[in-house]
Amino acid sequence: MRVEPSRLDRLLKPLHRWVWADPRRRARKLLRFAETEADGARDLARAAELTRDPLLRRLYLRHAEDEQRHADLFAGRGRDLATRGAGGRFEANWLAPGERGLDDLRLEQEADESLLAFLHLSEQAAAGRFTVYVEVLDADPQTRAVFTRILEDEVFHMTYTRRQLARLSPRKQGLLLWQARAGRVWHAYLRAAAVLAAVLGHVFLALQYFLLLPAFALLAKRAARKEAEGLSAARHPTPMTSQY
Amino acid sequence: MRVLGISAHYHDSAAALLVDGEPVCAVQEERLSRRKNDAAFPLSAIEWCLEQARVEPDQLDAVVFYEKPMLKFERILTMALRGFPRTWGSFPRAMQNALGGKLWVKGIIRSQLGIRTDRILFCEHHQSHAAAAFFTAPTKSAAILTADGVGEWATLTLGRGEVDEAGRARIQLSRELRFPHSLGMLYSTFTAYLGFPVNEGEYKVMGLAAYGNPTYEGLLKRIAQRTPDGGLALDLSWFDFHQGARHSYSRKMVAELGPPREPWDPIDLQSADGRRYADVAASVQRVLEEILVDLARRLQRETGLHDLCLGGGVALNGVANARILRESGFRNVYVPSAPGDAGCALGAALYADRIHFARAHQPVADHPYWGPAVDAGELSRVAGEDGLDAMRLPEAELIRRVADELARGRIVGWMQGACELGPRALGNRSILAAPHQHAMRDRLNRSIKYREEFRPFAPAVPLEHADRYFELPPGGARLARFMSGVFPVRPEWRDKLAAVTHVDGTARLQTVDRAMAPAFHALLEAYGARTGMPVLLNTSFNLAGEPIVNRAIEGYSTFRRSGIDLLVAGDSLVVKDHSTQALPEVA
Repeated sequence: MRVEPSRLDRLLKPLHRWVWADPRRRARKLLRFAETEADGARDLARAAELTRDPLLRRLYLRHAEDEQRHADLFAGRGRDLATRGAGGRFEANWLAPGERGLDDLRLEQEADESLLAFLHLSEQAAAGRFTVYVEVLDADPQTRAVFTRILEDEVFHMTYTRRQLARLSPRKQGLLLWQARAGRVWHAYLRAAAVLAAVLGHVFLALQYFLLLPAFALLAKRAARKEAEGLSAARHPTPMTSQY
Repeated sequence: MRVLGISAHYHDSAAALLVDGEPVCAVQEERLSRRKNDAAFPLSAIEWCLEQARVEPDQLDAVVFYEKPMLKFERILTMALRGFPRTWGSFPRAMQNALGGKLWVKGIIRSQLGIRTDRILFCEHHQSHAAAAFFTAPTKSAAILTADGVGEWATLTLGRGEVDEAGRARIQLSRELRFPHSLGMLYSTFTAYLGFPVNEGEYKVMGLAAYGNPTYEGLLKRIAQRTPDGGLALDLSWFDFHQGARHSYSRKMVAELGPPREPWDPIDLQSADGRRYADVAASVQRVLEEILVDLARRLQRETGLHDLCLGGGVALNGVANARILRESGFRNVYVPSAPGDAGCALGAALYADRIHFARAHQPVADHPYWGPAVDAGELSRVAGEDGLDAMRLPEAELIRRVADELARGRIVGWMQGACELGPRALGNRSILAAPHQHAMRDRLNRSIKYREEFRPFAPAVPLEHADRYFELPPGGARLARFMSGVFPVRPEWRDKLAAVTHVDGTARLQTVDRAMAPAFHALLEAYGARTGMPVLLNTSFNLAGEPIVNRAIEGYSTFRRSGIDLLVAGDSLVVKDHSTQALPEVA
């Protein structure tokens, strides 16, 4: 199965080159990738525990072991770089993400077929992105070697998920892949919406903090100064029906 | 009467069910959801408890939440006001957190369980801890000390519990230390400084402490000053947790102690930084111990009681617990298997039953096994599907076979009966191995646990043999029942128990009572018959970042992904065969 970077990733190649040029940022990104891969390993182990299909169980377990190995590779290289370089803290994770793993998928509620479709697309996207990273990392052969090694496994993951999807659902595989694509778009929208909502909420609450709280803050500070240090008499228990 | 206890929304959520005053089941949400330290509303745990007892939600007489949400919210808001304007960054986050769910517990319980609101009760956080410690201990009169990071306002409480002849129970917490002055937060702040995850990595600090010298003890005593009444006052200029900043320690601490450790940075004890980290750990450990011992000593003098019940996350510090037992004057120190927030689900339910409903106290079964039982058939099925030979053996033969394999240096995944409540694997969800050589410790670290080299492994020993190998003070064997104390390994055995003897010659042992865990006890005896030492290395059955296994399939998945050689679930035994792990051509 061939690995092709997406058009967007190709278009963003100069940006990727810039993102990966800074050793400190590279280190932080690799360490973050390591966390994602380790999470992915746990999710796949869970998928193996939930499936009733013995072959899928073995494949998921192998996949989980691969992801854990990737986590170790990323972490090792990330640690190496982190102990040396210095640079910015901006990680550009939205522009240059790692593997998204199983996203927020509720494994308990997923059928094997839809999980395989989702995994296939996820692995395909990650593999495509990693090929771009390999291309832009020509100044750092060691990190490049890590991605190249991991890319081999990603090809295996793409292949087995596609073949198993065809085995389990020979007639509906195309539909399942489209549904998985729609699901990925939906998850991306949810992520973006959640971030936007959090930012708006943050701004709204921060405004309230500065507009409404100062007077109460003065009173609270004055009360705090009167509090004795050390042990105090325990609060008298209130009825259990009370939330206070 | 049926009372359901719930803890949730901070870390380690759990549910526990009492029927007519007796606990019938309890489980942490993480064991069912498979998310470590899962803090979500414990719907799976509740459903499992109700199903286990064949109780419908509308048959519950009460549902008890383990803390008072409004009182907690008052603390969060007050601290934001006190820290104005430095709390501007954390205030929106704290409010979003609280208003986004934590404050509406009553509504969540009502909507999830469909029960009347007058049946929903709230127990104060430290009362839940106190009840979990006192009502599960085999005593009728005891002093109580609870300590953790923070509940509502209290961070530490002192009091006593009593049960009279008629079974009327009373818990009276007389004094408390209030946020932000907190022993738990002091320890957690240094846990964060040392690069370990808070609420999870505290035991790593305890393990690391043995490698260092308490060279910062003087500084720590300035940071955590004692008050004349025996309490504690943190000098808040060293901290930032009360202002909700990104780090819990302040710039002043970094300026004085040097740069904090990055989480990904391995600890090299030969390097200057590695030694500094170990010294910081040793210092905070020493200060924590001394404060706890002093508080317990004062409490003993004040109450004149012989028994002490310890609760709260700080009670997981086995080194401090052992010192309390040796130095405070109490004859017995009781720590439940889940002294942290998970145990509060059980504590809150017990408090409601004994205090709110004033029902007569009855002793609680003295074991930690309240969770789902393992299904041996499930292991046989999945192993068979993978071409592995799963043997179903009579107990005596199973014990003989496993003891033989352990004596041969094999590593065994051991699942029996119901899973434990609390963070320790106490023989029902354990990884077992021979405890004699350093090489075994290294092998476990390398191929199974993938954890830091400085962390010790724990031994398990039959109760009746514990004194032979370990220096136990009076009451020590009891404290070790749930692995709650760290005690010296007798010098003559240290070389032969190298895999479980920490660098300071101690071990966090578990004394195994035949009545509590008969199969595990028999296995230890059988192993002793082969090797001359009935001691096994006992570590929790999980991989790094995962909760302890619950079902047989989870044990099997862990077995397949790690260096475990043998897996036992109930009477079913599977031996690893590497040839069957090859995959057919699928690519």
